[in-house]
Amino acid sequence: MDEQCPMNDQVIHDTSSLQARVAMSVLLAMLVWLAIGRCGLAIDANHYAAKVRPVLQQRCFACHAVLKREAGLRLDTAAFIKQGGDSGAAIAVDKVDSSLLLARITSTDQEMRMPPEGEPLTSEQISVIRDWIAAGAPAPANEVAETDPREHWAFKSPLRPAVPTLSDMSYHNPIDVFLERARQAVGVRPVAQVSKDVLLRRVYLDLIGLPPNIEELEAFAADPSPRALETVVDRLLDSPHYGERWGRHWMDIWRYSDWWGLGAEVRNSQKHIWHFRDWIIESLNADKGYDQMLREMLAADELYPNDLEKLRATGFLARQYFKFNRTSWLDELIEHTSKSMLGLTFNCGKCHDHKYDPLEHVEYYRLRAIFEPYQVRTDMVEGEVDLERDGIPRAFDCNLDAGTYVHMRGDDRNPDKNRVIEPAIPKFLAFKELQIQPIELPVDACDPGLRPFVAHNHLSAAQQALDDAQAALRKINDAGSVEKSDTESDKSQSRTKAEMAVVFAEHQWTAVKARAAADAARASGAANAGELATTAAKCERAAALLAAEQELKIAQAEFDQAGAKKMLAKKRLEKANSAIEAAKKAVELTDGNYTPLLGSLKTLESNLETEDSRRKPFPRTSTGRRTAFANWLTDSQNPLVARVAVNHIWARHFGTPLVPTVFDFGRKGTPPVHPELVDWLATELVENDWSMKHLHRLIVLSGAYQLSSSTLHATAENLIKDSENRYYWRANPRRMEAQIVRDGLLYLADELDTTMGGPSIPAADVASRRRSLYYVHSHNEHNSFLSTYDDASVLECYRRAESIVPQQALALENSQFATDMAAKVAARIERISHAHSNDVFARLAFRAVISVQPNDAELQLAVSALEKLTSAAQARNRENPQSFARQQLVRALFNHNDYVTIR
Amino acid sequence: MRSNCKQCKTAHAVTRRHFFADAGMGCAGLALGSMLARDGIVRGSDEVIWQPPDGKPHFTPRAKSVVWLFMNGGVSHMESFDPKPMLTKYAGKTIRETPFADAQNPEKLKLARVTVINDANGQQRDKLYPLQVGSRQYGDSGIEMSDWVPHMGSCADDLCVLRSMWTTDDNHGAQTQFHSGRHMLDGEYPTLGAWVHYGLGSLNDNFPQFISMGRREYWNAKDGHYLGPAHDAIPIRVDPSNPLDYGKPTGAISSEEQQIGFDLVGQFNRLKGVEYPDDPALAARIKAYELAFRMQSSVPEVLDLNSETEATHKLYGLDDPATREFGMQMLAVRRFVERGVRFIQVQHGAGGAGVWDAHSGLLKNHSKNFLEVDKPVAGLLRDLRQRGLLDSTIVLFASEFGRTPGTQGADGRDHHIYGFSVWMAGGGIRGGQVHGATDEIGFHAVENRHYVTDIHATILHQLGLESRRMEIPGRKRLEIDFGKPILDILA
Repeated sequence: MDEQCPMNDQVIHDTSSLQARVAMSVLLAMLVWLAIGRCGLAIDANHYAAKVRPVLQQRCFACHAVLKREAGLRLDTAAFIKQGGDSGAAIAVDKVDSSLLLARITSTDQEMRMPPEGEPLTSEQISVIRDWIAAGAPAPANEVAETDPREHWAFKSPLRPAVPTLSDMSYHNPIDVFLERARQAVGVRPVAQVSKDVLLRRVYLDLIGLPPNIEELEAFAADPSPRALETVVDRLLDSPHYGERWGRHWMDIWRYSDWWGLGAEVRNSQKHIWHFRDWIIESLNADKGYDQMLREMLAADELYPNDLEKLRATGFLARQYFKFNRTSWLDELIEHTSKSMLGLTFNCGKCHDHKYDPLEHVEYYRLRAIFEPYQVRTDMVEGEVDLERDGIPRAFDCNLDAGTYVHMRGDDRNPDKNRVIEPAIPKFLAFKELQIQPIELPVDACDPGLRPFVAHNHLSAAQQALDDAQAALRKINDAGSVEKSDTESDKSQSRTKAEMAVVFAEHQWTAVKARAAADAARASGAANAGELATTAAKCERAAALLAAEQELKIAQAEFDQAGAKKMLAKKRLEKANSAIEAAKKAVELTDGNYTPLLGSLKTLESNLETEDSRRKPFPRTSTGRRTAFANWLTDSQNPLVARVAVNHIWARHFGTPLVPTVFDFGRKGTPPVHPELVDWLATELVENDWSMKHLHRLIVLSGAYQLSSSTLHATAENLIKDSENRYYWRANPRRMEAQIVRDGLLYLADELDTTMGGPSIPAADVASRRRSLYYVHSHNEHNSFLSTYDDASVLECYRRAESIVPQQALALENSQFATDMAAKVAARIERISHAHSNDVFARLAFRAVISVQPNDAELQLAVSALEKLTSAAQARNRENPQSFARQQLVRALFNHNDYVTIR
Repeated sequence: MRSNCKQCKTAHAVTRRHFFADAGMGCAGLALGSMLARDGIVRGSDEVIWQPPDGKPHFTPRAKSVVWLFMNGGVSHMESFDPKPMLTKYAGKTIRETPFADAQNPEKLKLARVTVINDANGQQRDKLYPLQVGSRQYGDSGIEMSDWVPHMGSCADDLCVLRSMWTTDDNHGAQTQFHSGRHMLDGEYPTLGAWVHYGLGSLNDNFPQFISMGRREYWNAKDGHYLGPAHDAIPIRVDPSNPLDYGKPTGAISSEEQQIGFDLVGQFNRLKGVEYPDDPALAARIKAYELAFRMQSSVPEVLDLNSETEATHKLYGLDDPATREFGMQMLAVRRFVERGVRFIQVQHGAGGAGVWDAHSGLLKNHSKNFLEVDKPVAGLLRDLRQRGLLDSTIVLFASEFGRTPGTQGADGRDHHIYGFSVWMAGGGIRGGQVHGATDEIGFHAVENRHYVTDIHATILHQLGLESRRMEIPGRKRLEIDFGKPILDILA
């Protein structure tokens, strides 16, 4: 209250001073009176804080506060406003309407009006400001200016905070100590531990994405050891299902998408991108450090240029591919690399300086320059010569000299070609500059045809083609006298074709062999390399000539027989004639310009790239830009990366993240309620070799994780002071992700096919029993059952939505899948129950489907429903009324809130 | 100069109940939030500035429902709602040989934002192509329309024809753009139907409030986007035996038997509520199951068109194979409107990028397509009017763009974004008027130009929603996204 007195004085003082100015006083007094009348309050410092400052903050601070001070003007305190900028004081209390601030915000001249972007201020906002000036611009005495953005909590490296000491010594896990101290400070108390059954279900679903079965529930319930949970957790973290469960989470965050486009034409992502998915799963199961994972995703092609296993990781970059617009492609890469790994909205710098974080427009393009040279290609894998069938989509630096330019106001049609932008980290994050060193690549990394298995692939394929051609000819010869329906001329024609095919396959085989020999000699620098190259070229051209000759024969025959379609046949014949001329000339040549065996094929840079340019040799060096970026990113001093990672992991265990804005840790993001816990977890991750399994273990063994989600016995204080559970005094119930809803039913029915990895399953294959993360998942193709449960958007999914809509009920109630699973689960329970009483069946069904024992009321309901269903089934003369009824009970339990809920 | 920011998706900070609106989570929680708020389940909090919609309009609405008829592929505006005799007069001439050479002023052509560079389609066509159909004046208002739309023409006095639309995507990404207001290269944004679904409560709890009929092209297959999949349209087939996905039980199960099961789920969940008294998801799920059970019977009942009279069948052209399919959809539309479905989207023309995409053979293409839709659409307008529903229902007839005044190949027209036509009827929009105009060869919209979001804003306005308030924390909307209601055309 004391603080308000001087401000009231201020009003009186200003008003009294105005009384001397007779002309103005009437007007201003009226204005003040109007203002008071309008808001019913005196215009004082509170008015400023409540009404004026928020408007300025929202619309003006970006350019006129600590970030930029344009025209020397700051508007983040009343003192600064009065002080003004290059053009003088921003306000004049005695000449309200000629105040510069007011003049600019009310100007009708588009070039003069402030703010320059977006709509003008509303008349209400303008009068709030005018009234405040008229009242003498009262403001709190000790108004604090905006702090230096570099001091923002998330821009400074986390220091490991000391774990506090509590008087209650029962808290051991540092997570609990931090949380309990905070809870005590606000006066909330944690609820009781959850039951063992629910706990086991929670930890199973969280770590492996499958519910526990009855035997596992019984065993856990019967284990009195204080380490019982720890034993389970260790076992689950060792399970390969862990990688599938958490792989899907990281696939959300890293925007996993199978390829899509029109027909067979790739427009987004890449074919065989599932190799990236498998790399994620395998890396998680091997507990590869999070830092190492990021390095491989961003730069494995530079760090491990010949390690195909690791090259799969650059599928992260390959997935960003967009055929029609390179800028959209790179924009999405920059946006989602920064959001997912750094928790920053770099994308805001595309068109202008960032409005909240100290990121300049040009710095956005410095980030782009890091990625400018990269393109995508598909490397051949052992055993498959056809890159349409398999291959590893991966990144590589292709256009080493591609310049990056600032796009004026973000418009890619308007690049500023005067200045090439060099790669760099934004200044406010440059705790360390990028250390860019160009990288010499091993010869078979940039000439993948030299990888030993590539020649083998090609030779086997040529051999196979030859074998097939010979078999086809044999078949015709053997069948020669048998098939009477064919005329003699038909027979001889197909025999001729088959003979031609054999001859061609022989030539091809010879050519491939010669090319392989030439490739090998070139790689080893053998003395006879030149000679072998000439031979290879000769064989290749001979095969080409043969092919041209054969084509000419076919074209000629077609032309001779062509009726109405003479024009087409004529074109083909003409083409064949000119082809054979070229081929004849080629065989006369004696140079060694043969085609090396294909070991990798670049994806078209855009719809304008030609077949020739995509087949140009790959560069011998890589710029090293992405390696430098990856090293900067995973430096232990990086203030954001570990914090962002622990926040992602925490959110998926607790249902709510510690930093609510998971992809914005910047100044516009919401700061954490538990900053020390964030920092402690972040440093704990880094100091334990970035082991995510270490973090999971720490979290799920904490007391906080093991609390009940019920508020039934919560204190009134808890509900009043923290209804949103920001202090984690209870668990948060969560809706299962789409994949888990389906996988759980398969598992309960003992139907789950646990085969891991490999090509994605067609989205429409409802009969598949594989885990759901293996379904094709792209922008235009997704499994419809999964979509119903808020499956991840491939464009952006930092958190899954948890909608509750009737279609979900229909899917679990009516789908063939739910019906089939209900029958299997019911049969399974009948098998293990050995008893025929409905009572026993109902108890087991509860335990099997939602992991808990039914209470008396639930049991009674279930039993009476079984009776009703049985008599309804009898009335309809069903064959086995009892088992029908039991299937319906199981189906009802699938639809129980606590099936789709992780309690 | 204004900044043309396309990437910033972040808006100004607001205080809010983060339980329902954590950034990154989509907005599905919000649907739940408004449902619970409506039912008084969620306690209010003083610190709230931004709030999810409460399902009520911002001001008194003029209309309740929207029928959104979308012709996939691009309808020639000159051969439908904006006839241009000059095309016939100067047929075969290049545009620069005509008095209208300024149409090709490069400054004016900058409007296009190319998605596919050097694509075979989406190019300007220089040589004027004569009108492929005659035209005449219809109704008391005398609106000039082509001979391909005699039935719609007979409803001229109910139509407001807007001849001055423009868009920027010269390829079929313009379909997305027409629905969301954003160019394909900007990413994916909620469509108008999703915003309406998000903003307004239910008119009838037995029905989904946002439905879609007919095939949508893959780039325009979803609606909710950052509002979450809960705001996607539910696809409906005009087939009472299989109207919606998972719409009926598998296997032979009677509705009595299923009722026992559904009741049991409700009872189980209510019992759980004793243990978890403050779990809003549990409460919402109980309601969702009740609605699901009702939808199973309510939706097929709407699609059972046999209960309609023969006269009605004829009105919609159900008696003619050419008009039967679209006619059934239009009749179903009326039945959904009657029952209080808020937003009904119907797409006509599957195949390729849309069946109207007449790069060649425009005459054959458009005469066939108009034959399919003309009578059924007119039937819908008449039927809505005679049942007193037209006043509260906005009907929109649109496509993603028009077609070029010039010829493509021998007998086609290419995509055209600089000026094209749509029409609206009902819902407080004044009938019998033409708004806006293109130049004499139908090239540029020259009078009362409207970007596609002006249609959005107008529809929202008639539904009592302020376009500008359609936003959520963490997602910045641009000026152009909001559009401006076209107040001139209101009754």
